[in-house]
Amino acid sequence: MTDWSSESQMKRLIGFFSSVKLAIALIIIITLVSVLGTLVPQQRSLEEYAEHYGRLSQLLTKSGFTDVYHSWWFIALLVFFSLNIIVCTLKRLSPKLRRAFNPSMEFEPKSLLSMKNKDRFSRKAGLSATQDAVEKELSSRYYRVKTRQKNNRLFFLGRKRIMGLFGSDIVHLGLLVILLGGIISGLAGFRTNLNITEGEILTVPHAEFQLKLDKFNTEYYPDGRIKDWKSTLTVIENEAPIRTQVIEVNHPLSHKGYVFYQSSYGWDWDNPQLEVWAKKSSDPDFLERLDLQLGKPARMDENLTISVLHFIPDFIINENNEITTRSLEPNNPAAFIEGWEGEEKIFSGWIFARYPDFGRIHSEKETDLTFELKDFKALQYSGIQAAKDPGVNFIWAGCTVLMIGLILAFYWPPKEIKAILEESQGRTEVTAGGTSSKNRETFASEFKEFMTSLRRSP
Amino acid sequence: MNESTLFLITFIIYVVSAFFYLIYLFIKREKPAKWGLLTASLGLIIHTAALILRTIESGHAPFTNMYESLSFLAWASVLAYVIIEYKYRINKAGPYFFLIVIAIMAIASSPLMPKEAVPLVPALQSYWLWLHVSVTLLGEAFFSVAFITSALYLFASSKERKGKGTSLSSERLDNISYRCVAVGFPLFTLGGLIFGMIWAYKAWGSYWSWDPKETWSLITWFVFALYLHTRIVMGWRGRRSALIAIIGFLAAMFTYFGVNYLLAGLHSYT
Repeated sequence: MTDWSSESQMKRLIGFFSSVKLAIALIIIITLVSVLGTLVPQQRSLEEYAEHYGRLSQLLTKSGFTDVYHSWWFIALLVFFSLNIIVCTLKRLSPKLRRAFNPSMEFEPKSLLSMKNKDRFSRKAGLSATQDAVEKELSSRYYRVKTRQKNNRLFFLGRKRIMGLFGSDIVHLGLLVILLGGIISGLAGFRTNLNITEGEILTVPHAEFQLKLDKFNTEYYPDGRIKDWKSTLTVIENEAPIRTQVIEVNHPLSHKGYVFYQSSYGWDWDNPQLEVWAKKSSDPDFLERLDLQLGKPARMDENLTISVLHFIPDFIINENNEITTRSLEPNNPAAFIEGWEGEEKIFSGWIFARYPDFGRIHSEKETDLTFELKDFKALQYSGIQAAKDPGVNFIWAGCTVLMIGLILAFYWPPKEIKAILEESQGRTEVTAGGTSSKNRETFASEFKEFMTSLRRSP
Repeated sequence: MNESTLFLITFIIYVVSAFFYLIYLFIKREKPAKWGLLTASLGLIIHTAALILRTIESGHAPFTNMYESLSFLAWASVLAYVIIEYKYRINKAGPYFFLIVIAIMAIASSPLMPKEAVPLVPALQSYWLWLHVSVTLLGEAFFSVAFITSALYLFASSKERKGKGTSLSSERLDNISYRCVAVGFPLFTLGGLIFGMIWAYKAWGSYWSWDPKETWSLITWFVFALYLHTRIVMGWRGRRSALIAIIGFLAAMFTYFGVNYLLAGLHSYT
């Protein structure tokens, strides 16, 4: 009959989570699911999925395969994995603790001789002289020595690098701290993009300080490629500037748990300042310079007003024959202008800064005016990512612990040398054995060396 | 003497080294293997000079495009091999290993790989570039040695099952594979994952974004974690261990190579 009492259910649950097979299965499942998440593009729009996967797209989005790493079942897998690590580690911890802090002495020479490294000899010296030699040889090799005496017999336990026993446990601890950090980042982390123009003061969301952009500039390599973006930021608290720092990619500003990153840049193309030149084909000396703003008609002479209706920084006509911008860089700036005489539209059309001869002005009424887009200006803004991530310190702590654990596990193997001395008729019989969990060849030669110098010692 | 000349000389020396190892494989005398190791060490020295020269010429770390990073991977792999060869005498792995090194060098020198040094985009201007990439590739170099010894294990064990002896026993190969993973795993963890997270945090403001390259390095890490757990806790040895080590190396190579060409993400700079 099955025992359904809560105690035995608890035991069954612990048994389930303590199995290494579960750990192996979870590692394999998490790995495979992660692979899937890199094959299906993640976090795209519903339209994109519909286009790509057709009927399957519904199934994919609903099951979470389009956002695997944030889906409830992936998080559930990670929680299972954490529980598994905790139970597995704790279960193996207590025998290790006993071994480390309450080691058992060996009292039978026979069991020493069944160890992997062993040796036996007898020397012409008393018990206490031999004891000194054993202790000296062990401690000169950094072994910590425990000694017991029973009648004419002496027992030694020399050990070093005991911390190495706990290498894997420390790795697991580090991993758990990292997972905890990830949970904290996910729940309490916060991230937003701020676009800020020179001179502007922004209130940082949820924070008690403001940020002012003093200066923004782009640095170029001699060949014209972008070298770096630099924003000079001032932190303002209670209307008073606290500190000023230049941030650039890879060099963020940290203030009160917030970190500000240089992440992008751009221009405020909605409010450009344009300089347009008007010329007359009939009169080569005629030149009128106009400073224009979007949607603000300017008078050219008594009758004619010019206005800019659209401005596009990177003019292109796409495959659907629509006028649009290819990028936010001013690669091919174009303005759409109109000329009005009273209520009557005289002309309208696109003019291009880079291609003055390409202007397409449609005249409703005869005019010999031509227009050139001479200059364009817009405020440049610096794109700054503000992030607050209280989980990040856990991540670094976890990484440090994990790394220490790995080094202990691989390169700090515990070593034990046990020895028994027996005195009879002025001679002392030395029996010794030693073990090391890793690097057996190195330990074998260390053990050999130890025995050789013990034989030679006075 | 410029970097591309030194690279070419290195390439030739590695071919000569592979040739010596192949002779060793056929005549089964120790001498050509010794010559193989010696020429490989010489190649390593000249390769080091090439990388230093590249750093001086370009003014940045010698692994910022595919050509540079392939050259560095080949260098790290030869370094790992020479260390393991001096320590454990794995002559028999030599010919196979150097065929892979030659393949890497050949891909690096193919005309498809642009070779000119271009100035660094803002995100790459960081000393974390040095730490992240060099330590990761060094870890992967040890995985590559483990890959060869694991593959050789599979051959050796099937030979032994037929009753034929081999100069390098399958048990030793199994043990050496583990040693390589024991060096590669901490290096990969530190360089690939930890340094990667620190740099991502400094440059992008987020230590982990589930970008395909990040995810695949985690996948690689999981495969080797599986190798270690099945081996140490469940006592797996031999065939199954060798297969996991092979899968792990292939995952590492996919992280390094495949992700760039097949999956898009934050790491696609070039």
